[in-house]
Amino acid sequence: MEALKTLVRLWPIHLIVLVTSVVAQFIGVRAIPIGIGTILLLPLLFVFVFTLLLNPNVIKPIGRVLSTKRVAAASPLIVIAIMPFIAKFGTTIGPSIEEVVEAGPALLLQELGNLGTILLAFPVAIWVFRMGRESIGAVHSIAREPNIAIIADRYGLRSPEGTGVMGVYVMGTLFGTFVFAIIASLLATNGVFSVDALAMACGVGSGSMMAACSGALAEAVPGSTDSITALAGASNLLTYATGMYVSLFIALPLVERMYLRIRPDDPENPRARTTEEPVR
Amino acid sequence: MTTNESAEDLVPTSNDRSFLMGPMLRDLAVLTLISIPLQLIATDLSLGAVVAGLAALYALCVAGLVITKYAPFYLPSVAWISLVGIVLTLPFMPWFEWFNGLVVGIDFLALAVPPLAYAGLAISDLELNVMRRSGWKILVIATLVFTGTYVGSAAIAEFMLWLTS
Repeated sequence: MEALKTLVRLWPIHLIVLVTSVVAQFIGVRAIPIGIGTILLLPLLFVFVFTLLLNPNVIKPIGRVLSTKRVAAASPLIVIAIMPFIAKFGTTIGPSIEEVVEAGPALLLQELGNLGTILLAFPVAIWVFRMGRESIGAVHSIAREPNIAIIADRYGLRSPEGTGVMGVYVMGTLFGTFVFAIIASLLATNGVFSVDALAMACGVGSGSMMAACSGALAEAVPGSTDSITALAGASNLLTYATGMYVSLFIALPLVERMYLRIRPDDPENPRARTTEEPVR
Repeated sequence: MTTNESAEDLVPTSNDRSFLMGPMLRDLAVLTLISIPLQLIATDLSLGAVVAGLAALYALCVAGLVITKYAPFYLPSVAWISLVGIVLTLPFMPWFEWFNGLVVGIDFLALAVPPLAYAGLAISDLELNVMRRSGWKILVIATLVFTGTYVGSAAIAEFMLWLTS
Protein backbone atom coordinates (compact mmCIF):
# COMPACT_ATOMS: atom_id res chain seq x y z
CA MET A 1 0.00 0.00 0.00
CA GLU A 2 2.75 2.36 1.05
CA ALA A 3 4.74 1.40 -2.03
CA LEU A 4 1.78 2.13 -4.24
CA LYS A 5 1.37 5.57 -2.67
CA THR A 6 4.99 6.42 -3.36
CA LEU A 7 4.67 5.35 -6.96
CA VAL A 8 1.58 7.52 -7.40
CA ARG A 9 3.37 10.44 -5.79
CA LEU A 10 6.44 10.01 -8.00
CA TRP A 11 4.87 9.31 -11.37
CA PRO A 12 4.85 12.95 -12.62
CA ILE A 13 8.59 13.12 -11.95
CA HIS A 14 9.28 9.84 -13.72
CA LEU A 15 7.09 10.93 -16.63
CA ILE A 16 8.95 14.24 -17.01
CA VAL A 17 12.27 12.39 -16.88
CA LEU A 18 11.10 9.88 -19.49
CA VAL A 19 9.84 12.49 -21.94
CA THR A 20 12.75 14.94 -21.58
CA SER A 21 15.29 12.10 -21.78
CA VAL A 22 13.77 10.73 -24.98
CA VAL A 23 13.78 14.21 -26.55
CA ALA A 24 17.40 14.78 -25.50
CA GLN A 25 18.42 11.38 -26.83
CA PHE A 26 16.78 12.16 -30.17
CA ILE A 27 18.70 15.44 -30.39
CA GLY A 28 21.86 13.40 -29.86
CA VAL A 29 25.38 14.81 -29.85
CA ARG A 30 25.90 18.24 -31.39
CA ALA A 31 29.35 19.52 -32.29
CA ILE A 32 30.20 23.22 -32.19
CA PRO A 33 33.58 23.96 -33.78
CA ILE A 34 35.39 26.91 -32.24
CA GLY A 35 38.89 28.09 -33.06
CA ILE A 36 40.86 26.02 -30.55
CA GLY A 37 38.88 22.80 -30.90
CA THR A 38 35.33 21.49 -30.89
CA ILE A 39 32.77 21.70 -28.12
CA LEU A 40 30.53 18.66 -27.94
CA LEU A 41 27.03 19.09 -26.55
CA LEU A 42 25.75 15.79 -25.18
CA PRO A 43 22.21 14.51 -24.53
CA LEU A 44 22.93 14.55 -20.80
CA LEU A 45 23.55 18.30 -20.96
CA PHE A 46 20.38 18.92 -22.96
CA VAL A 47 18.22 16.94 -20.56
CA PHE A 48 19.66 18.79 -17.57
CA VAL A 49 18.69 22.12 -19.13
CA PHE A 50 15.21 20.81 -19.99
CA THR A 51 14.44 19.64 -16.47
CA LEU A 52 15.95 22.80 -14.97
CA LEU A 53 13.47 24.78 -17.07
CA LEU A 54 10.62 22.55 -15.79
CA ASN A 55 11.77 22.95 -12.18
CA PRO A 56 9.32 25.14 -10.24
CA ASN A 57 12.19 26.44 -8.08
CA VAL A 58 13.86 27.85 -11.17
CA ILE A 59 10.84 28.92 -13.22
CA LYS A 60 8.26 30.08 -10.69
CA PRO A 61 5.06 29.80 -12.82
CA ILE A 62 5.69 26.04 -13.21
CA GLY A 63 4.76 25.81 -9.52
CA ARG A 64 1.08 26.06 -10.46
CA VAL A 65 1.17 22.65 -12.14
CA LEU A 66 4.13 21.02 -10.44
CA SER A 67 4.74 21.78 -6.76
CA THR A 68 8.20 22.30 -5.34
CA LYS A 69 7.39 19.61 -2.77
CA ARG A 70 6.86 17.09 -5.54
CA VAL A 71 10.15 17.77 -7.31
CA ALA A 72 12.03 17.54 -4.00
CA ALA A 73 11.43 13.79 -4.28
CA ALA A 74 13.71 13.72 -7.33
CA SER A 75 16.78 14.28 -5.17
CA PRO A 76 17.24 10.74 -3.76
CA LEU A 77 16.54 9.31 -7.22
CA ILE A 78 19.72 10.82 -8.71
CA VAL A 79 21.95 8.43 -6.77
CA ILE A 80 19.81 5.47 -7.80
CA ALA A 81 19.69 6.58 -11.44
CA ILE A 82 23.48 6.75 -11.61
CA MET A 83 23.87 3.12 -10.44
CA PRO A 84 23.22 1.33 -13.80
CA PHE A 85 25.64 3.81 -15.38
CA ILE A 86 28.31 2.98 -12.82
CA ALA A 87 27.60 -0.73 -13.31
CA LYS A 88 28.10 -0.36 -17.06
CA PHE A 89 31.41 1.39 -16.41
CA GLY A 90 32.52 -1.49 -14.21
CA THR A 91 31.80 -3.92 -17.02
CA THR A 92 34.08 -1.96 -19.36
CA ILE A 93 36.98 -2.16 -16.88
CA GLY A 94 36.91 -5.95 -16.51
CA PRO A 95 37.56 -6.87 -20.18
CA SER A 96 40.31 -4.20 -20.39
CA ILE A 97 41.92 -5.21 -17.11
CA GLU A 98 45.33 -5.78 -18.72
CA GLU A 99 45.36 -2.30 -20.18
CA VAL A 100 44.24 -0.82 -16.86
CA VAL A 101 46.93 -2.68 -14.91
CA GLU A 102 49.53 -1.61 -17.48
CA ALA A 103 48.45 1.98 -16.93
CA GLY A 104 48.63 1.39 -13.17
CA PRO A 105 51.45 3.81 -12.27
CA ALA A 106 49.92 6.58 -14.36
CA LEU A 107 46.48 5.88 -12.91
CA LEU A 108 47.74 5.98 -9.34
CA LEU A 109 49.88 9.09 -9.63
CA GLN A 110 47.35 11.11 -11.58
CA GLU A 111 45.23 11.02 -8.42
CA LEU A 112 47.68 13.64 -7.14
CA GLY A 113 46.54 15.76 -10.06
CA ASN A 114 43.45 16.40 -7.97
CA LEU A 115 45.65 18.88 -6.10
CA GLY A 116 45.39 20.88 -9.33
CA THR A 117 42.17 22.30 -7.90
CA ILE A 118 44.43 24.60 -5.87
CA LEU A 119 46.85 25.52 -8.64
CA LEU A 120 44.71 27.89 -10.70
CA ALA A 121 41.85 28.68 -8.35
CA PHE A 122 43.72 29.64 -5.17
CA PRO A 123 45.79 32.51 -6.62
CA VAL A 124 42.73 33.94 -8.34
CA ALA A 125 40.61 33.65 -5.19
CA ILE A 126 43.27 35.33 -3.04
CA TRP A 127 44.80 37.99 -5.26
CA VAL A 128 42.18 38.73 -7.88
CA PHE A 129 38.94 38.37 -5.92
CA ARG A 130 40.41 39.20 -2.48
CA MET A 131 38.39 36.38 -0.95
CA GLY A 132 38.85 35.43 2.69
CA ARG A 133 38.90 32.03 4.31
CA GLU A 134 36.06 30.85 2.09
CA SER A 135 38.78 30.35 -0.51
CA ILE A 136 40.11 27.45 1.62
CA GLY A 137 36.83 25.58 1.38
CA ALA A 138 36.36 26.55 -2.24
CA VAL A 139 39.65 25.37 -3.74
CA HIS A 140 40.78 22.40 -1.61
CA SER A 141 38.86 19.89 -3.77
CA ILE A 142 36.16 19.61 -6.41
CA ALA A 143 33.66 19.96 -3.55
CA ARG A 144 31.68 16.78 -3.92
CA GLU A 145 29.87 15.05 -1.09
CA PRO A 146 32.87 13.56 0.80
CA ASN A 147 34.67 16.92 0.68
CA ILE A 148 31.66 18.73 2.12
CA ALA A 149 31.67 16.21 4.93
CA ILE A 150 35.34 16.99 5.66
CA ILE A 151 34.76 20.75 5.75
CA ALA A 152 31.56 20.37 7.78
CA ASP A 153 33.43 18.24 10.27
CA ARG A 154 36.37 20.61 10.69
CA TYR A 155 34.89 24.08 10.33
CA GLY A 156 31.10 23.65 10.26
CA LEU A 157 29.08 24.61 7.23
CA ARG A 158 28.16 28.07 8.52
CA SER A 159 31.82 29.09 8.68
CA PRO A 160 33.54 31.00 5.84
CA GLU A 161 35.18 27.72 4.77
CA GLY A 162 31.74 26.12 4.69
CA THR A 163 30.39 28.92 2.53
CA GLY A 164 33.26 28.36 0.12
CA VAL A 165 32.80 24.62 -0.23
CA MET A 166 29.03 24.94 -0.59
CA GLY A 167 29.44 27.59 -3.26
CA VAL A 168 31.64 25.38 -5.40
CA TYR A 169 29.41 22.37 -4.65
CA VAL A 170 26.35 24.18 -5.97
CA MET A 171 28.18 25.62 -8.98
CA GLY A 172 29.49 22.12 -9.69
CA THR A 173 25.99 20.68 -9.45
CA LEU A 174 24.67 23.34 -11.82
CA PHE A 175 27.54 23.77 -14.26
CA GLY A 176 30.07 20.98 -13.57
CA THR A 177 28.91 18.71 -16.39
CA PHE A 178 29.12 21.59 -18.87
CA VAL A 179 32.60 22.60 -17.72
CA PHE A 180 33.91 19.03 -18.00
CA ALA A 181 32.26 18.38 -21.36
CA ILE A 182 33.76 21.57 -22.73
CA ILE A 183 37.32 21.14 -21.40
CA ALA A 184 37.41 17.47 -22.37
CA SER A 185 36.18 18.04 -25.91
CA LEU A 186 38.52 20.99 -26.42
CA LEU A 187 41.58 19.11 -25.15
CA ALA A 188 40.66 15.98 -27.11
CA THR A 189 40.27 17.83 -30.38
CA ASN A 190 43.36 20.04 -30.15
CA GLY A 191 45.79 17.21 -29.45
CA VAL A 192 47.80 18.58 -26.50
CA PHE A 193 47.32 15.41 -24.42
CA SER A 194 46.88 11.78 -25.44
CA VAL A 195 43.39 10.34 -25.18
CA ASP A 196 44.49 7.82 -22.54
CA ALA A 197 45.75 10.58 -20.27
CA LEU A 198 42.59 12.61 -20.77
CA ALA A 199 40.45 9.55 -20.03
CA MET A 200 42.26 8.93 -16.73
CA ALA A 201 41.80 12.55 -15.75
CA CYS A 202 38.02 12.16 -16.18
CA GLY A 203 37.73 10.14 -12.98
CA VAL A 204 37.23 13.01 -10.59
CA GLY A 205 34.93 11.22 -8.18
CA SER A 206 31.62 12.51 -9.49
CA GLY A 207 29.52 10.20 -11.64
CA SER A 208 27.86 12.89 -13.73
CA MET A 209 31.06 14.87 -14.33
CA MET A 210 32.85 11.68 -15.37
CA ALA A 211 29.93 10.89 -17.68
CA ALA A 212 30.12 14.28 -19.37
CA CYS A 213 33.90 14.13 -19.57
CA SER A 214 34.30 10.60 -20.93
CA GLY A 215 31.25 11.02 -23.14
CA ALA A 216 32.79 14.05 -24.79
CA LEU A 217 36.09 12.16 -25.23
CA ALA A 218 34.37 9.11 -26.71
CA GLU A 219 32.53 11.31 -29.20
CA ALA A 220 35.66 13.25 -30.10
CA VAL A 221 37.78 10.12 -30.64
CA PRO A 222 35.42 7.48 -32.03
CA GLY A 223 36.82 3.98 -31.92
CA SER A 224 38.53 4.42 -28.55
CA THR A 225 35.33 4.26 -26.52
CA ASP A 226 36.25 1.02 -24.75
CA SER A 227 39.64 2.16 -23.51
CA ILE A 228 38.27 5.61 -22.62
CA THR A 229 35.50 4.22 -20.43
CA ALA A 230 37.80 1.60 -18.90
CA LEU A 231 40.47 4.14 -17.92
CA ALA A 232 37.98 6.80 -16.81
CA GLY A 233 36.01 4.25 -14.81
CA ALA A 234 39.11 2.84 -13.14
CA SER A 235 40.34 6.32 -12.29
CA ASN A 236 36.94 7.31 -10.92
CA LEU A 237 36.84 4.21 -8.76
CA LEU A 238 40.32 5.05 -7.47
CA THR A 239 39.13 8.55 -6.65
CA TYR A 240 36.22 7.14 -4.64
CA ALA A 241 38.85 5.29 -2.64
CA THR A 242 41.62 7.89 -2.41
CA GLY A 243 39.95 11.25 -3.06
CA MET A 244 38.85 11.82 0.48
CA TYR A 245 42.32 11.07 1.85
CA VAL A 246 44.12 13.27 -0.68
CA SER A 247 41.75 16.05 0.24
CA LEU A 248 41.93 15.46 4.02
CA PHE A 249 45.64 14.79 4.48
CA ILE A 250 47.27 16.71 1.64
CA ALA A 251 45.07 19.31 -0.02
CA LEU A 252 43.34 20.84 2.98
CA PRO A 253 46.46 21.16 5.21
CA LEU A 254 48.31 22.58 2.19
CA VAL A 255 45.72 25.28 1.42
CA GLU A 256 45.34 26.05 5.12
CA ARG A 257 49.11 26.64 5.42
CA MET A 258 49.30 28.66 2.25
CA TYR A 259 46.47 30.85 3.50
CA LEU A 260 48.04 31.39 6.93
CA ARG A 261 51.31 32.30 5.23
CA ILE A 262 49.70 34.82 2.89
CA ARG A 263 47.12 36.28 5.29
CA PRO A 264 48.59 35.81 8.78
CA ASP A 265 46.52 38.69 10.16
CA ASP A 266 43.07 37.57 9.03
CA PRO A 267 40.95 37.87 12.21
CA GLU A 268 38.99 34.84 11.01
CA ASN A 269 42.06 32.62 11.32
CA PRO A 270 41.75 30.07 14.13
CA ARG A 271 43.52 31.68 17.08
CA ALA A 272 45.14 28.59 18.56
CA ARG A 273 46.91 27.78 15.34
CA THR A 274 50.04 29.46 14.07
CA THR A 275 51.99 28.83 10.92
CA GLU A 276 54.45 26.78 12.94
CA GLU A 277 51.97 24.36 14.36
CA PRO A 278 51.16 21.42 12.13
CA VAL A 279 47.63 21.64 10.91
CA ARG A 280 45.92 18.39 11.64
CA MET B 1 11.51 13.89 1.99
CA THR B 2 11.16 17.23 3.68
CA THR B 3 12.03 20.49 2.02
CA ASN B 4 15.51 21.81 2.55
CA GLU B 5 15.76 24.61 5.04
CA SER B 6 19.40 25.05 5.91
CA ALA B 7 22.81 24.38 4.49
CA GLU B 8 23.07 21.28 6.66
CA ASP B 9 20.20 19.71 4.74
CA LEU B 10 22.28 19.89 1.60
CA VAL B 11 24.85 17.53 3.02
CA PRO B 12 23.93 14.28 1.39
CA THR B 13 23.13 11.43 3.70
CA SER B 14 23.10 8.84 0.95
CA ASN B 15 26.41 7.38 2.06
CA ASP B 16 25.01 5.35 4.89
CA ARG B 17 23.75 1.84 4.54
CA SER B 18 20.47 2.17 6.36
CA PHE B 19 18.59 2.39 3.06
CA LEU B 20 15.56 0.16 2.67
CA MET B 21 16.20 -2.55 0.12
CA GLY B 22 12.59 -2.85 -1.08
CA PRO B 23 11.94 0.76 -2.18
CA MET B 24 15.49 1.00 -3.50
CA LEU B 25 15.04 -1.99 -5.81
CA ARG B 26 11.63 -0.72 -6.90
CA ASP B 27 12.97 2.72 -7.84
CA LEU B 28 15.93 1.10 -9.57
CA ALA B 29 13.48 -1.01 -11.61
CA VAL B 30 11.47 2.07 -12.65
CA LEU B 31 14.67 3.85 -13.70
CA THR B 32 15.77 0.80 -15.67
CA LEU B 33 12.45 0.81 -17.54
CA ILE B 34 12.98 4.48 -18.45
CA SER B 35 16.32 3.51 -20.00
CA ILE B 36 14.73 1.07 -22.47
CA PRO B 37 13.53 3.65 -25.04
CA LEU B 38 16.78 5.61 -24.60
CA GLN B 39 18.87 2.55 -25.46
CA LEU B 40 16.64 1.79 -28.45
CA ILE B 41 17.31 5.29 -29.76
CA ALA B 42 21.03 5.26 -28.97
CA THR B 43 21.95 1.77 -30.22
CA ASP B 44 21.10 -0.67 -33.01
CA LEU B 45 20.14 -3.36 -30.50
CA SER B 46 16.83 -5.19 -30.65
CA LEU B 47 14.30 -4.70 -27.86
CA GLY B 48 15.18 -8.12 -26.48
CA ALA B 49 18.90 -7.33 -26.39
CA VAL B 50 18.27 -3.99 -24.67
CA VAL B 51 16.06 -5.57 -22.02
CA ALA B 52 18.61 -8.34 -21.43
CA GLY B 53 21.48 -5.85 -21.14
CA LEU B 54 19.62 -3.56 -18.77
CA ALA B 55 18.48 -6.56 -16.73
CA ALA B 56 22.10 -7.64 -16.39
CA LEU B 57 23.08 -4.15 -15.19
CA TYR B 58 20.12 -4.20 -12.79
CA ALA B 59 21.40 -7.47 -11.36
CA LEU B 60 24.88 -5.94 -10.93
CA CYS B 61 23.37 -3.01 -9.02
CA VAL B 62 21.36 -5.33 -6.77
CA ALA B 63 24.48 -7.36 -6.01
CA GLY B 64 26.41 -4.16 -5.24
CA LEU B 65 23.64 -2.89 -2.95
CA VAL B 66 23.45 -6.18 -1.05
CA ILE B 67 27.21 -6.09 -0.51
CA THR B 68 27.04 -2.42 0.57
CA LYS B 69 24.49 -3.35 3.21
CA TYR B 70 26.17 -6.44 4.61
CA ALA B 71 29.91 -6.00 3.98
CA PRO B 72 32.03 -5.93 7.16
CA PHE B 73 33.36 -2.46 6.21
CA TYR B 74 31.77 0.52 4.53
CA LEU B 75 32.31 1.53 0.92
CA PRO B 76 29.85 3.66 -1.04
CA SER B 77 27.35 1.60 -3.03
CA VAL B 78 28.70 2.99 -6.32
CA ALA B 79 32.15 1.61 -5.45
CA TRP B 80 30.75 -1.87 -4.72
CA ILE B 81 28.67 -1.80 -7.89
CA SER B 82 31.79 -0.92 -9.93
CA LEU B 83 33.75 -3.72 -8.28
CA VAL B 84 31.04 -6.31 -8.95
CA GLY B 85 30.94 -5.13 -12.58
CA ILE B 86 34.71 -5.47 -12.90
CA VAL B 87 34.93 -8.91 -11.31
CA LEU B 88 32.08 -10.36 -13.37
CA THR B 89 33.63 -9.22 -16.65
CA LEU B 90 37.24 -10.31 -16.07
CA PRO B 91 38.30 -12.12 -19.26
CA PHE B 92 39.23 -15.35 -17.50
CA MET B 93 35.83 -15.82 -15.85
CA PRO B 94 34.00 -18.88 -17.24
CA TRP B 95 30.87 -16.82 -17.97
CA PHE B 96 32.81 -13.97 -19.62
CA GLU B 97 31.56 -14.49 -23.18
CA TRP B 98 27.95 -14.78 -22.06
CA PHE B 99 27.86 -11.93 -19.55
CA ASN B 100 29.99 -9.48 -21.51
CA GLY B 101 27.85 -10.23 -24.55
CA LEU B 102 24.80 -9.08 -22.62
CA VAL B 103 26.13 -5.68 -21.52
CA VAL B 104 28.70 -4.77 -24.17
CA GLY B 105 26.21 -3.21 -26.58
CA ILE B 106 24.54 -0.96 -23.98
CA ASP B 107 25.33 2.70 -24.63
CA PHE B 108 26.93 4.29 -21.56
CA LEU B 109 26.17 7.86 -22.56
CA ALA B 110 22.44 7.17 -22.82
CA LEU B 111 22.57 5.65 -19.31
CA ALA B 112 23.83 8.99 -18.01
CA VAL B 113 20.78 10.87 -19.29
CA PRO B 114 18.16 9.96 -16.62
CA PRO B 115 20.44 10.87 -13.65
CA LEU B 116 20.96 14.34 -15.09
CA ALA B 117 17.22 14.65 -15.70
CA TYR B 118 16.50 13.96 -12.03
CA ALA B 119 19.34 16.29 -11.07
CA GLY B 120 17.73 19.16 -12.97
CA LEU B 121 14.43 18.60 -11.19
CA ALA B 122 16.11 18.25 -7.81
CA ILE B 123 17.72 21.69 -7.82
CA SER B 124 16.14 23.36 -4.82
CA ASP B 125 15.50 26.88 -3.67
CA LEU B 126 18.32 26.46 -1.22
CA GLU B 127 20.83 25.67 -3.93
CA LEU B 128 19.65 28.61 -5.99
CA ASN B 129 20.03 30.84 -2.94
CA VAL B 130 23.58 29.62 -2.39
CA MET B 131 24.28 30.36 -6.04
CA ARG B 132 22.90 33.88 -5.80
CA ARG B 133 24.74 34.59 -2.57
CA SER B 134 28.05 33.21 -3.86
CA GLY B 135 27.77 35.15 -7.08
CA TRP B 136 29.78 34.98 -10.24
CA LYS B 137 33.12 34.98 -8.45
CA ILE B 138 32.47 31.51 -7.04
CA LEU B 139 31.41 30.39 -10.50
CA VAL B 140 34.78 31.53 -11.86
CA ILE B 141 36.57 29.82 -8.96
CA ALA B 142 34.59 26.61 -9.51
CA THR B 143 35.48 26.60 -13.20
CA LEU B 144 39.16 27.06 -12.32
CA VAL B 145 38.91 24.30 -9.71
CA PHE B 146 37.53 21.86 -12.29
CA THR B 147 39.94 22.93 -15.02
CA GLY B 148 42.85 22.68 -12.59
CA THR B 149 42.11 19.16 -11.43
CA TYR B 150 41.46 17.98 -14.99
CA VAL B 151 44.58 19.47 -16.54
CA GLY B 152 46.65 18.53 -13.47
CA SER B 153 45.58 14.89 -13.64
CA ALA B 154 45.98 14.74 -17.43
CA ALA B 155 49.50 16.23 -17.24
CA ILE B 156 50.65 13.73 -14.61
CA ALA B 157 49.05 10.83 -16.50
CA GLU B 158 50.67 11.97 -19.75
CA PHE B 159 54.09 12.22 -18.10
CA MET B 160 53.75 8.79 -16.48
CA LEU B 161 52.60 7.18 -19.75
CA TRP B 162 55.60 8.73 -21.50
CA LEU B 163 57.90 7.54 -18.70
CA THR B 164 56.63 3.95 -18.72
CA SER B 165 56.23 3.48 -22.45
